[in-house]
Amino acid sequence: MDAPSLSLVPHDWFWLYDIPTHRLAMLFVASFVAFYWFGCVFLRPILRQFVKYNAGANDIIGYVLSCFGVFYGLLLGLIAVTAYQNVADAGASVTREAAALSALYEDVSRYPDPYGQNLRWLLRDYTRYVIRYAWPLQRRGIIPQEGTIRVDAFHEELLDFQPGTPAQEILHAEALRQFNHFLEARRTRLFTVTSGLPTSMWYVMFLGAILTLAICWLFEMRFVTQLVLGGILAAYLGLMMFLIFDMNQPFRGDVSIPPDAFESIFQRMNEE
Amino acid sequence: MKPAVPAIRSRESQSRVTRRQSLGAGAAATLAAARTLAPVLFTGCSLGLPARARPIMLGLLHSQTGTLAISETSVRDAEILAIEEINAAGGVLGRPLEFRCPDPKSRAADLFPKRARHLCEEDGVAALFGCWTSTSRKAVIPVCTEFDRLLFYPVQYEGNESASHCVYGGSVPNQQILPAVDWLLSSAGGPRRRIFLVGSDYIFPRTANFVVKKHLAARGIEPVGEAYVPLGHRQFRGVVEMIGASRADAVLSTVNGDSNVALFEEFAAAGIDPEKVPVISTSIGEDELRHLAPREVAGHYAASSYFQSVATDPNRDWVGRFRREFGYDRVTSDPMEAASTLVHAWKAAVERAGSLDTAAVRQALSAGIEVPGPGGPFRIDPKTQHAVKRFRLGRIRLDRQFDIVHESAATIEPDPYPQSAFPGWKCDWTKGGLEQGPEVRIDGDV
Repeated sequence: MDAPSLSLVPHDWFWLYDIPTHRLAMLFVASFVAFYWFGCVFLRPILRQFVKYNAGANDIIGYVLSCFGVFYGLLLGLIAVTAYQNVADAGASVTREAAALSALYEDVSRYPDPYGQNLRWLLRDYTRYVIRYAWPLQRRGIIPQEGTIRVDAFHEELLDFQPGTPAQEILHAEALRQFNHFLEARRTRLFTVTSGLPTSMWYVMFLGAILTLAICWLFEMRFVTQLVLGGILAAYLGLMMFLIFDMNQPFRGDVSIPPDAFESIFQRMNEE
Repeated sequence: MKPAVPAIRSRESQSRVTRRQSLGAGAAATLAAARTLAPVLFTGCSLGLPARARPIMLGLLHSQTGTLAISETSVRDAEILAIEEINAAGGVLGRPLEFRCPDPKSRAADLFPKRARHLCEEDGVAALFGCWTSTSRKAVIPVCTEFDRLLFYPVQYEGNESASHCVYGGSVPNQQILPAVDWLLSSAGGPRRRIFLVGSDYIFPRTANFVVKKHLAARGIEPVGEAYVPLGHRQFRGVVEMIGASRADAVLSTVNGDSNVALFEEFAAAGIDPEKVPVISTSIGEDELRHLAPREVAGHYAASSYFQSVATDPNRDWVGRFRREFGYDRVTSDPMEAASTLVHAWKAAVERAGSLDTAAVRQALSAGIEVPGPGGPFRIDPKTQHAVKRFRLGRIRLDRQFDIVHESAATIEPDPYPQSAFPGWKCDWTKGGLEQGPEVRIDGDV
């Protein structure tokens, strides 16, 4: 079942995350430059009518662009930091979940069989599911649902165990505590699958980029110079947008958080 | 005459590009960009997007929580392994397989049909693999019939059924319980003629024991006793005392689930020697043995079609693959082997039919489908849609595995309606389906 979206970039654009990163970067840059050049050819002659007869118009436009650029640059910078923080948080939640899972596996390995064996099987099954099935779903922006069933199965089996000795009571209490840590980290991971920048931020960023480029169309300069200088600015704006877009979904795209932590644990679980 | 002097053009005039030239260059650049981006905009195919064939969805309907979870989860894992193997080999009809695996929580009567309905209606599965108890199977089959999907059922059961929308991969009594009875009656098994029947109180044990009694009656033998306990029952002292009082020389057990732990504890406590009074269980496999104390069950028997200890290369390969994927300490069992092979049989039928359409797949099945399986070649009988199985009798070892002490000389054709128990009842889906005989009443709550 597809996960409900928490807003963000409209899902219609999520296929973009399936494009290899370097090509996606080129696509962003090419789109921005193409838009700018298109405007140079078709919109610039119209816009320049407003400033054509004003002496020193370029100075005024340059001043406006500088002011605008400061605010817009700040906005882009802050958003980029937020997006990076989102990636870092998601990575941390994955590491926390994997660490809790590993500790839990160690705890239940001390349980008497068949409880211990069943619990180990269930944790291995969960880890395998996360690597093989949950991660590809996350890469498609879908919150994996069936991991919850596996967690419930483990929880049920864990609660079924009745400690028979004081040592087992301590072990069981520790396993339950570790299980709660694991649950918390798992929920954080699932939440970050669809978390990202609100749609309104994307509107502001794109509108800001369009306005920046539109201001550049007002400059009085040679056409080729206009194409080159404005093209460079458009390319840079495209790169910034790409950076934010790519980091906005920590589990999506080529350069996303990998399931390495789980793979390492699974390998160890199967080595014993 | 003044020499011709080449016109000197200013640097500005040399480099000036006319608007016409600029527009031309711009148009060319736009066209080039459009040419580059068009495939992306319209198909997304030239930017490295992976080409995806539409997957085929399968439903795996097994309890993952509740009392049946441990047994059913292993069966689910065997099905997942089969699906992964098929995907690794290119999928079915060039399309990859995906699966949904909801949790019916061991609630046979309400959640099994509800989950099956969701799988058919919402998830659009092409076929369902699953169920464990007969109650769950009987609850799911009407849903499969309504949505025209096939249910592939991997567990041995009591027979007396042949649904058009169910393919039965487990043994029926003439492939499992009756050969076990015949072995007890033979010199290899004793011979033993004082047989006590003990079972859990639900469809399978009641019907299976009904078939056994008819089978014994045809040989002039009557069981020395019969006892049923509720599922999950743990007080077996009374039953064991009944067995002792009956002077039985063999026990045929259709006790299911956790009750086996208490049953064998009581046998051991009563000092029943497997050499003198062996118990043949129909519902104990490698998975269930993990819950039993080896010293209490070693020497007793289990009737089955497959054991992990089957010494063939295909079985060793399969067990190895399963353990590599799911864990070094996992075991394989009869329902798991049937479940895995059923997935491959479904693939073979779909590929023969060239379609996912249920009627076409049934048509392909009716032409006879045979696939290799860990326990030997696996064939679906076109007449009954049941698997043709080999009978194996295993003696329980201390390491929770089985020594195979007897194996049928050939595979046994399935007969869901043994004539000794269900006279006049026949099933042949190649000739119109079920032919009903006189009504048969089976005692007890079935």
